Amino acid sequence: MLQLFKETRIPFLKYKYLAIAFSWTVIAAGLVNIFFFRGLKLGVDFSGGTLIRVKFQEPLPISEVRSRLSEVRLGESKIQEVGSEDREYIIRTTLSKAQMLEQQEAGVEATEIMANRVIDTLLTEPDRRATQAGLQDISSLDEKSLAHILEPLLLEHAPAEARKIMDFRVERGIIRSWDELQGLGLGQDTLARLQERCYLSSLSVLSKETVGPIAGDYLWNRARLAIIYALLGILIYMAVRFKLAYGVSALLTLFHDVLLTLSIFSFTSREINLPVIAAFLTLVGYSINDTIVIFDRIRDNLKILRKAEFEDLMNLSINQTLSRTIITGGTTILSLVVLVLFGGQVINDFAFTLLIGIFIGTYSSIFQSCPFLFFWWKIFKPKKGMRK
Amino acid sequence: MRRNLLARIILVLVVLGAALILGWPPKKIPLGLDLAGGMHLVFQVQTDDAVEIYVDQTIGRLKELLSKKKITVGSFTKRQLGRFTLGQFSPEDEGKLQDLLDEYLRDWDYGVSAGAVNLTLKHAAERSLRTETVDQALATINNRVDLFGVSEPTIQRQGGTEGDRIVVELPGISNPERAMNLIRTTALLEWKLVHAGPAAEEAALLQGFGGSVPEDMEVVKGDPKKTEGGFYLVSRVATITGQDLSSVHLDRDDMDNPAVGFELKPEGSARFARLTGDNIGKPVAIILDGKVQSAPTIQDRISDRGIIRGRFSIDEVRDLIVTLKSGALPASIKILENRTIGPSLGADSIRRGLVAILASFLITLVFMVFYYRGAGINALVALLFNLVIIVGTLGALVVMKIPVSLTLPGIAGIILTIGMSVDANVLIFERIREEIKAGRSVPSSIGFGFSRALSAIIDSNVTTVVAAFFLIQWGTGPIKGFAVTLIIGVCASMFTAVFVSRLIFDLVIPRHRKVEKLSI
Repeated sequence: MLQLFKETRIPFLKYKYLAIAFSWTVIAAGLVNIFFFRGLKLGVDFSGGTLIRVKFQEPLPISEVRSRLSEVRLGESKIQEVGSEDREYIIRTTLSKAQMLEQQEAGVEATEIMANRVIDTLLTEPDRRATQAGLQDISSLDEKSLAHILEPLLLEHAPAEARKIMDFRVERGIIRSWDELQGLGLGQDTLARLQERCYLSSLSVLSKETVGPIAGDYLWNRARLAIIYALLGILIYMAVRFKLAYGVSALLTLFHDVLLTLSIFSFTSREINLPVIAAFLTLVGYSINDTIVIFDRIRDNLKILRKAEFEDLMNLSINQTLSRTIITGGTTILSLVVLVLFGGQVINDFAFTLLIGIFIGTYSSIFQSCPFLFFWWKIFKPKKGMRK
Repeated sequence: MRRNLLARIILVLVVLGAALILGWPPKKIPLGLDLAGGMHLVFQVQTDDAVEIYVDQTIGRLKELLSKKKITVGSFTKRQLGRFTLGQFSPEDEGKLQDLLDEYLRDWDYGVSAGAVNLTLKHAAERSLRTETVDQALATINNRVDLFGVSEPTIQRQGGTEGDRIVVELPGISNPERAMNLIRTTALLEWKLVHAGPAAEEAALLQGFGGSVPEDMEVVKGDPKKTEGGFYLVSRVATITGQDLSSVHLDRDDMDNPAVGFELKPEGSARFARLTGDNIGKPVAIILDGKVQSAPTIQDRISDRGIIRGRFSIDEVRDLIVTLKSGALPASIKILENRTIGPSLGADSIRRGLVAILASFLITLVFMVFYYRGAGINALVALLFNLVIIVGTLGALVVMKIPVSLTLPGIAGIILTIGMSVDANVLIFERIREEIKAGRSVPSSIGFGFSRALSAIIDSNVTTVVAAFFLIQWGTGPIKGFAVTLIIGVCASMFTAVFVSRLIFDLVIPRHRKVEKLSI
């Protein structure tokens, strides 16, 4: 039998003051950061704004991207590189809410305009000339139109050739040169026809998201309601299944988890967006889960060991469930590490939040929820034999 | 629990079979916009526009009625939205005026004070006007998307029956800009007689009219993409509009450029014949959403058919036909939210998602088998079972026509479930180990292990389900996809841990034989 922990007898509760002091110091620092230094950054989902992901044909250093954005007074945008080729960037721009609302009153879709401004300024002079000459960009053309262009030449083979080009484009994100297309086995005349009617834009817009202030408020409201109701639901379930002492301790732990995760979050440059809210709720569910397993053991042991001191009994329960805590936490964390590493940029904030959340949830079920329960019993002193 | 062995085998096989049938082929589970690429648009119908138009119409109707009844009212003043005031009428007409309002303007409340009548659109009327406007916009957008040919679009009203928002989801769209224009053009098409223009500047245009725009005329701009741009002075009232068209089709002009051919309804055709007959040699402007598309010179009297020219590409002509067929929007619509994901980003996400699922599955598997040996294989079987049930349940939802799709956060939900679902097994295995250590026989350890771990398994998973349930209820977009797979995954893991793992133990370790060692 392989065991990570052979009959551990770690006196966890001995460290209760240390753990509580540590956690709440970090939380206090986080709250100060959030309230006095604007530590929490709301993503475009909630603050409104635009998020554009572009891929360039040729490498373009981030400084150059920024300077082009400055030309249209969007130099404050947050630019994040994807990959390491200097070719793919995520660009976030926000306006102040007041500005956006003001423009909205005037009937302007500020975010849409802003998004188009970002894209326009990143295009190059040859791109603009080609569009003006009525050429179409292969990197943003749809399959039907492409087939349409090829039809006079290839007749019934046009859709298949268009499909081939499209598949290649979907895989690469942007077509870098005509040579690349030639590599696909297109005929000379096909290529000539394409060159006559189309051009290769220097950039391709992989995604474009704009959220106006009204939508942002709406999403924020929905997210807030989701959080409130989920917490209430968990609370009600706890109240039904457990005695007050356990419920209150679990609830305090839950606050601790959310606050601590938020605090850590506030010290990173990550933004709160919709998936991050989902991650918060998931970690709440997970942390409660962890806490319940330990409380369940305490409940069991109370029935068996009627004479034991609270502290010893808790330590015993934590030790008995320790390998489970570590293994489940371990496999979950491993899965999430995989997600952080391989899941890509789109889901990175979400996976990161869950990852630190699961760490915190695991830590708190041992070092926060048990001390909370311990203090509750110290204060309200249930009679021995009466405690359940 | 050892009783009903046969019944349990059947139950597990039935679930497995059902999941396989429902889940196969997995391709039938639609991919969310973040994976398939596409557009998620939230529009707000500017219902104020509709109220404004209604007020104008009411004033127009009232003027007609007044002249019929020979009542003179000197001023009509619009105040805030949905309010206007009549003034400058002789006191002896006041009674007649009130009778008229009572009879014909039932949607309006009015009050008389100091020689003026203040009219206010009734609250209920205004509300139903707004609701109808959104309904109409919804129908129009539906038509347009239908005619445009998007596979499996969703077009929904947001915020209940009185909400003014419309959510449009177009999966797999590869030309977002075109789709967006198609949906949001108001498509108000008008033919108006040109009195002057085009001119590069407004001042030059008005030279022949003493520098100001005459009462019955207005200035409109040329669409810079379609004409030379500049300004036109045209009649204020349109001779015919898009509503007078009986049919539209793809046509060619005499230069063989694409154009929209149209036929007119009888009433419009009479008006058009009069206009063209009286004004041969003058240009008539074809105006779409306030911009002149072209201003051909009238060659001859035209009555029931014609073409709309402009420098249109074939796609533009097609789109224009779609919008004309589906009718104009009753009010303008504004974009509140636009999420357009290109197909290559979606394809990239799918690749990454699959790699992540596979990797986390392998890691968990290696870990479990390494740590729990024989019992680890048991957990592995449960895990595979789990994945099959998740896919099967998603398939079942698709079959039952419940809208569900696999999104990137949904994939994350599956990955999280892979990590978390071993929890139930871990709880059980750890308990069994303890019981064995405490000196129980193997079979009874297994029995105790399962029964003692059960309460913790249920309690802990229910909290996750509760949290995820509210995410489905209140979450939007991607969050929903995550919560759905999480709930399914957690439920599946409870089922597999309690039924499947137990069954495997019971099958491998028969009770009547003495078993000394358990690989756990």
